[in-house]
Amino acid sequence: MRVLFFAHLKDITGCAEMNLPGGDLDADGLWQKLIEAHPGMEQVRASVRLAKNSEYVGRDACFTDVDEVALIPPVSGG
Amino acid sequence: MEIKIQLTNASICERLPAPTSGVGAGAWVDFRGVVRGEENGAVIAALEYEAYSPMAEMEMRRIIAELAGDHHCLFVRVIHRVGIVPVGEAAICVGVAARHRAEAFALLAGFMNRLKQDVPIWKRRALTATELTELKTK
Repeated sequence: MRVLFFAHLKDITGCAEMNLPGGDLDADGLWQKLIEAHPGMEQVRASVRLAKNSEYVGRDACFTDVDEVALIPPVSGG
Repeated sequence: MEIKIQLTNASICERLPAPTSGVGAGAWVDFRGVVRGEENGAVIAALEYEAYSPMAEMEMRRIIAELAGDHHCLFVRVIHRVGIVPVGEAAICVGVAARHRAEAFALLAGFMNRLKQDVPIWKRRALTATELTELKTK
């Protein structure tokens, strides 16, 4: 699945997006893989919301290979 | 109700026309959020905005439709700038048309509150005058 990073998450991961192969994941599984790839993400986990295909999802969400997942840190538009 | 959403790199400082589809409108409320000359106590020359554009547009549309359930309006237009926005220029412009002013003011206030909670747009960084000049000369 395609995972997108925004704002200061780009500084933590060093990239704007990454591909996470390996089939279906729940939210906890997704975070586990992200933290394995980018340990700095653990510190921001509590403040980051997940979106699937451009919609916010809850902690019970599941993600498949075809989904676009976005990590949304606290927003500051306007 | 008609909703128009736009994210743009271009300046939105020019005068925007009144709604063409707001037939029956008795109120047209126009709001601009502009970049202040200081951020976290420091003098700045510009802010850089970043957006997750597809989701930002969807989320703004969803929020407006939800608010319109309580505050019936005829037309809403939102333009949010992304990229470098110099101090004094508009980062966002919202126009709301309604039959009466109360609905337009209420929807506008509710939208701006929700925008700052839920719409995936970020102030990526603040630029000093020197940094802004360097960026322009590149």
